[in-house]
Amino acid sequence: MDELIIILVRGIGLGAVFSLVAMSFNVVHNASGILNFAQGNMLILGGLFGFFTLPQEPELVRWLLLVPAAALFYAAVLAVQGWVTLLPLRSSVEQHSWLITTLAVSVIIGAVILIAQGPFALSVKSPFPNFALLGTRTPTPYALAVVLAVAWYAALHWFHTRTVTGLAISAIAQDLEAAQAAGIRVRRLQILAFAISGAIVGSAGFVAAPVMSISADSGIIYVLNGFIAAVIGGLGSNAGALIGGPLVGVASMYAAFQYGGQYQNVVSLALLIGVLMVRPEGLFGRTRARRV
Amino acid sequence: MSNEKHVRRFVVHIGIAVAGMVAAVAMAQTPRPPIKVGAMIPLTGGGATVGESGQIAVELAVRNINAAGGIAGRQVQLVIGDYQTEATVGVGEAKRLIFQEKIELLVGPTYSQVTLAVLPIQNEAKIPSVNVSGSEKLTPEVGPYAFSMLANAEAQSKVMVDHAVRSMKVQSAAILSDTGAQAKTAVEAIKAELAARNVKLAGVQEYQYRQTDMTPQLLALRRGTPDVVLLFTSNGEDTGNMIKSMNELGWNVKVVGSFGATFSGPALKIAGKDAYKNTVAVNYKGFSFCPSEATPKSFQDFVASVKAFKPDAFERQPLAYLSLWYDAVYVLKAAVEGTGGKTDGPSVAAWLETNSRSFRGINSGLTASKSTHFLIGQDALTVVYPDRQREGGLLERVGC
Repeated sequence: MDELIIILVRGIGLGAVFSLVAMSFNVVHNASGILNFAQGNMLILGGLFGFFTLPQEPELVRWLLLVPAAALFYAAVLAVQGWVTLLPLRSSVEQHSWLITTLAVSVIIGAVILIAQGPFALSVKSPFPNFALLGTRTPTPYALAVVLAVAWYAALHWFHTRTVTGLAISAIAQDLEAAQAAGIRVRRLQILAFAISGAIVGSAGFVAAPVMSISADSGIIYVLNGFIAAVIGGLGSNAGALIGGPLVGVASMYAAFQYGGQYQNVVSLALLIGVLMVRPEGLFGRTRARRV
Repeated sequence: MSNEKHVRRFVVHIGIAVAGMVAAVAMAQTPRPPIKVGAMIPLTGGGATVGESGQIAVELAVRNINAAGGIAGRQVQLVIGDYQTEATVGVGEAKRLIFQEKIELLVGPTYSQVTLAVLPIQNEAKIPSVNVSGSEKLTPEVGPYAFSMLANAEAQSKVMVDHAVRSMKVQSAAILSDTGAQAKTAVEAIKAELAARNVKLAGVQEYQYRQTDMTPQLLALRRGTPDVVLLFTSNGEDTGNMIKSMNELGWNVKVVGSFGATFSGPALKIAGKDAYKNTVAVNYKGFSFCPSEATPKSFQDFVASVKAFKPDAFERQPLAYLSLWYDAVYVLKAAVEGTGGKTDGPSVAAWLETNSRSFRGINSGLTASKSTHFLIGQDALTVVYPDRQREGGLLERVGC
């Protein structure tokens, strides 16, 4: 039983990172219909921010100040990426050049990390000691990732329901053409959505860096599992992302524990197929009417 | 008149002789075409850490060989193929190197699953190669022109189990490995060796490359309460992550690692300075020392040349592994020169099967034959403390 609790706690922690990636997917997707496949490597860049700004033995105050700094920095980076991605598109719903653009950005980030930092994974230390759990020590960044995921969920919920800008983005998500006709400055809000997604993955990468593999080729693991979490939860639903991430994290860790490490990645995909077969819109997704 | 005729004939003969000499000199001075050597190295992907060592080694070897006159008088032109640690990419890169670049010799790949995938292409073109892979499936039948510098999985497995049984007196053992082809072969070899020595198998687990949290695997293995964990890994990062996870669980079991566990630089960074307090690993005897022994001059020279060649990357290089790639190029050079300059697979393979023992490189005492193309056998291996290093990465032998 103790072993299962350890797996559960670590699985939820790892899954919270996937949740954050899934939420960053949702924010951009809701506003533009784009799935930003560079989010995995953006998360790695968040970790890289920690590597460059934190000393070997980081102090708490500095770390606390750097969390919003990482969020703001990557908000700016993603805003630029969003602008470049959206530039050639009259409507992202009708054209699909974003697919190549976002993948290209991901490849470029990976290549730049490889050239600049070499092939070895970088280590970042946490200012928090590991916490005790049933005779074991569990890295605190797992718990921090959960806190951050809940915090971002709450912030996004407030933003989308209580602010004019957030409501306008929600309007775009419901009907892009109607929103345009109503005079909403769609392109500007879409770039803002990219920036918000950058703040999410930037802060997530920074906070979870000590339990992540920060290297040129690690982004794929996080973008894949983040995407699976988003689809399982229901693409566009942040509540779904919040639940979908830990589901993926716990399922993959349990599969490794019970059946062997070779099943760790397979089980995420099996979970995805299973959920889609029973509920194609995902656990928290909503079916939509489509104009034909 | 006859005198004039005699002089004319003499002039003609002299002219022919001079023309012949000029032609001979001209032919002698015509540069022979360079010999294209392909190197399949994982510069990106999960194996990029060991790929960096491979690239440094091969480039250094080619530079030194060219400075000394080339292979059989031909300068070496190196063509590198990055296969991204993926077998499918490897097949494409092998085709590019062989059919497009028209290489004559091949060094690499490392990672057995990639090597096994590209062998049919090599065989078709009869390209001789020296790889750095260790799966038992790399037999002379599967790769008649392919040889390996890596101690094969079976040899490493035997040394690991032998140490666990004889020195540590274990009664039960668990196996943890990565998901590579060599590791899968090794797991089977370890199981057979444990059974032969009546050691109880307490559990078997695998992990994906670059997995940071291995607690699920370790918790599963801990259920079997093994006396030792036999770790078959291919790099230091995975070793570090495994030890870090083990420390977090507070599990102080002894670990005997494969050669990959000796790549201590990344492991120490990840798991801290006490990472190896419970861990020993298999290494090449030539890269081990006892405190009372002096470091051989040839080895010192090799270390110095790597340091001078890539000073920025030197500190993180596992030099024993790097030397395998370095020697791989020199083994091919020796074989081509031994056959009088032939570069076809059958000639080079036949030479290596009978003459590899004569090779004198950083690693000597090679033992390939018609029945095995693994150049390094079990006798060339020992067990070391991975964190007790001399300059250049020599590791202290256990039991000095």
